[in-house]
Amino acid sequence: MSDSMAIYIHVPFCRRKCKYCSFISFDSRTNDIPGYIDLLKKELELRSVDCNIDTVYFGGGTPSLLTAEQLNGILSVIGKKYRMADNAEITIEANPGTVDFKYLADIKTAGINRLSIGIQSFNDDELTMLGRIHTRKEAVNAIEDAREAGVDNLNIDLIYGLPGQSIDDWKENLLTAIGFNPGHLSLYALTLEPEESLFKEIESGKLPDISAGTAASQYELAEELLQKHGYVHYEISNWAQPGRECRHNLVYWQGSEYLGIGVAAHSYIGKRRSSNTEDLDKYINALSHNVLPPQDVDEIIIPELEIAESIILGLRLYSGISIKDFEKRFGIDIMKRFGRQIEELINFDLIENDKTVIRLTPRGRLLGNEVFWRFLPDKV
Amino acid sequence: MKQLKTRNFCIIAHIDHGKSTLADRLIELTGAMKSDKIIEQVMDSMELERERGITIKAKAIRLSYTAKDGVTYELNLIDTPGHVDFSYEVSRTLAACEGAILVIDATQGIQAQTISNVYFAMDHNLEIIPVINKIDLPSSEPERVLEEIESVLGYKSEDVLPISAKTGQGVPALLEAIVNKIPPPKGDLNKPLRALIFDSHYDSYMGVVAYISVNDGKIRKGDKLRLMGQGTELEVVSIGYFNPKFCPADELLAGDIGYIATGLKSVGECRVGDTITSLVDSATEPLIGYKTAKPVVYTGIYTTQPEDHGQLREAIEKLSLNDASFSYEPENSPVLGNGYRCGFLGLLHMDIIQERLEREFDLSLIVTVPGVKLIVTRTDDRQFMIVNPSDLPEPSEILKIEEPWVKISVITPSTFIGPIMDLITQSEGIYKHTEYIGHSHSPDALGQRVRLEYEIPLRSMLTTFYDQLKSRSKGYASLDHEVIGYRETKLIKLDILVNGVMVDAFSRVVPPDKAHDIGKSMVEKLKDVIPTQLFKVPLQASIGSRIVARTDIAARRKDVLAKCYGGDITRKRKLLEKQKEGKKKMRSIGKVEVPKDAFMSVLKMEQ
Ligand SMILES: Nc1nc2c(ncn2[C@@H]2O[C@H](COP(=O)(O)OP(=O)(O)OP(=O)(O)O)[C@@H](O)[C@H]2O)c(=O)[nH]1
Ligand code: SF4
Repeated sequence: MSDSMAIYIHVPFCRRKCKYCSFISFDSRTNDIPGYIDLLKKELELRSVDCNIDTVYFGGGTPSLLTAEQLNGILSVIGKKYRMADNAEITIEANPGTVDFKYLADIKTAGINRLSIGIQSFNDDELTMLGRIHTRKEAVNAIEDAREAGVDNLNIDLIYGLPGQSIDDWKENLLTAIGFNPGHLSLYALTLEPEESLFKEIESGKLPDISAGTAASQYELAEELLQKHGYVHYEISNWAQPGRECRHNLVYWQGSEYLGIGVAAHSYIGKRRSSNTEDLDKYINALSHNVLPPQDVDEIIIPELEIAESIILGLRLYSGISIKDFEKRFGIDIMKRFGRQIEELINFDLIENDKTVIRLTPRGRLLGNEVFWRFLPDKV
Repeated sequence: MKQLKTRNFCIIAHIDHGKSTLADRLIELTGAMKSDKIIEQVMDSMELERERGITIKAKAIRLSYTAKDGVTYELNLIDTPGHVDFSYEVSRTLAACEGAILVIDATQGIQAQTISNVYFAMDHNLEIIPVINKIDLPSSEPERVLEEIESVLGYKSEDVLPISAKTGQGVPALLEAIVNKIPPPKGDLNKPLRALIFDSHYDSYMGVVAYISVNDGKIRKGDKLRLMGQGTELEVVSIGYFNPKFCPADELLAGDIGYIATGLKSVGECRVGDTITSLVDSATEPLIGYKTAKPVVYTGIYTTQPEDHGQLREAIEKLSLNDASFSYEPENSPVLGNGYRCGFLGLLHMDIIQERLEREFDLSLIVTVPGVKLIVTRTDDRQFMIVNPSDLPEPSEILKIEEPWVKISVITPSTFIGPIMDLITQSEGIYKHTEYIGHSHSPDALGQRVRLEYEIPLRSMLTTFYDQLKSRSKGYASLDHEVIGYRETKLIKLDILVNGVMVDAFSRVVPPDKAHDIGKSMVEKLKDVIPTQLFKVPLQASIGSRIVARTDIAARRKDVLAKCYGGDITRKRKLLEKQKEGKKKMRSIGKVEVPKDAFMSVLKMEQ
């Protein structure tokens, strides 16, 4: 185990489920929040290790349903049971429908220094289609309040590829977001699973189908516009002004260690990936008895897999994979080991190789899966 | 004399009219097995058969029945395959019996296979006992069905028994009719041995097990025997019957039905329809003329991944030990590599073999467009058979082509005659005959029940003919067919090119005037089933060098990249693993990933 680590804390509560949601979150259990906070603290204690915490990330769900005191309480446990780095990046995901100026100012005081606002869209029709709890107006207010409260490290989440969303609709969303000059932008293509209600609406013909072609054009438009406005496309779905990259997310892509706390939270520590149960009751039950919750995933990452993962994750970053660093880390010449795949992918114009670094081409960023699966070992 | 107290019979029925259920009831009522022990309908033994609800292999069961006259009879019930693909096996089963119970569903009445079954049984001089089944159902119409039986089949109403195979109602009377009407076997115990093989299967412990009906003489364990048709010599390793459990016995006598284990390695050496006699003191005449069931439908079978070819060879060899009626020959396809051209008794037989190969041997297969065996005469007068469209010579080298035709009989309510006749005409059918056979369920809505007779090229039945017949008649029409011989025809080869590469597995022979339409629907269908690729893929249909249809699959521009949430790398990786796994179900053709289903989908399409 290395001496520094990231912590992810999952808050699995939402006021209402969005129609495209595939995250672990419950919309009828908000009464459980206070008890859950206690259990988060307990889990933090049970898992405590002596190391530097560089980043903390409250994800969800809707972490902004937690009060500033509750957040403060959790952070102080981290401060006591771990070593919080001086310049730690402490992010919270916030739903615009749940915050106001006072709240934002309070959480800043509580120690939060990065805010990721789940705007998704500035278009009221789109927000309704997605089943979001907030309006365009509330979204705008949230951003302005955050600015006013002095949160300078700000991310805006947007979704593209919505049913019926034109390239112009998307452009408008993007330009509105850019207008607020956020340090960071995360853009996700809408993906749907059969259980989700938006999926069913498309199936039943109530909404037009998602067009992969339009989504591709929207993505390309974003690349172009954001570059023009000074954003660096540092990861497939993430753009930042220089120096505003999300350090917590980089932990995932760079294969560093992280500790996941809370329902369905994932950890990667000592070459072992594990995740807490997705079942809120099982989680509550276990920790109420002072034992760690059951694990849904628990796997040792053997070297072969670690190599594959490091390529798959590394290629997501614009910095790509440094051939030299790779050799240093694994003692393997990536060009030799994966020569066939790399050659094929270069032919497909999916990756490029400038002798020192391998990275996705613009086309490869749209067709990442086509690239990634080729690096998986045959039988795991 | 024991023989006088023996009755050998089978049950014949259109699919789903209740053959297996009746067999169960007979077993139960004669006490061979308590009803709660009949876990599944015992005569349908293979898992696959049960799932499809049809019976592929005939087996015999010995029942002991004490009749009203106080005599205890030995009843041998032989199960027959219920599908026309297996009509050869049915005919051998009939040859082993003296009587048949003809089951007709009281809710449906006479269906196409009912009639062919009756003719079949008559050919073998069987005593037929017609029964109307499912009279327990509220929707049953025994009177209407009785009228139909009288008018179409010519039985007197007092000879037709109403029963419910499900509740057992009427089945005791049926048992009495079996002993009273069906004659005992006629053979002679003192003559040299003659026994008919009506079924056989391969068992890894006992070798080939043959199901036999002993006509003359007797067989004991250890006897040395010879098959009169094939000349195979064998020794009886074990002998007995089923009741329905496996019952080893000392001997089987004239009139008995049972099994012998032969130790032979392949059913091909011990084929259905052959007559067994003793090695010494042999009989001179076989019981019936021996012939082998001939495949009529051919298809290429390949593994999705070329490197699995060895496993396919093993699987096919193993399976053929157990099924003498499917043929296989190695062939090589420029795009699919090494595979086999396999011959089947029909489409259903083909489906069954394919499924068994995939399921029992865990193979992922590509099955090419099924076709018939063509007789081609070249301009130099040389004649040869073709089962693979790729082997068709250049048109300029062909003097004539002949293809097999079938006689089909369709029974349908008259309301659907129009659409059905259209379908058959489009399928190149030639009209022969119409016959009105009775009233439909509700005469106003559906009209009279009609039997249509046509002749059509077997080739036309190999795609969606049956499905369309069913859909155009709302499920009412039933179909029966029989190969009637070869006729001269005009056919050309239609090829499909994927990304410029000719895919022989999609090639088929078609009438020249239909080539364009078929080509067009094939490329359109392929466009639907082949996923988008990293580049644009042209799909073309061609005759020789002439392109008759073309469409393109646009290049894929974007993947679905799920949001990575809270460091859940495992899920992401699992999705990628699935994608990688999926590639194994694809065949790469000219750099295009073609899913194996694409091969089947082009034959399941309407034209
Ligand atoms: N109600 C009722 N249902 C019956 C009767 N006889 C059979 N069935 C049902 O009809 C269906 C078909 O019966 P099977 O005995 O499997 O028919 P089969 O003729 O053996 O069918 P194949 O093996 O496909 O030829 C089953 O669902 C039976 O339960 C009956 O007398 N009454
Ligand atoms: S806010 Fe996020 S987690 Fe909550 S329901 Fe909506 S999409 Fe799901």
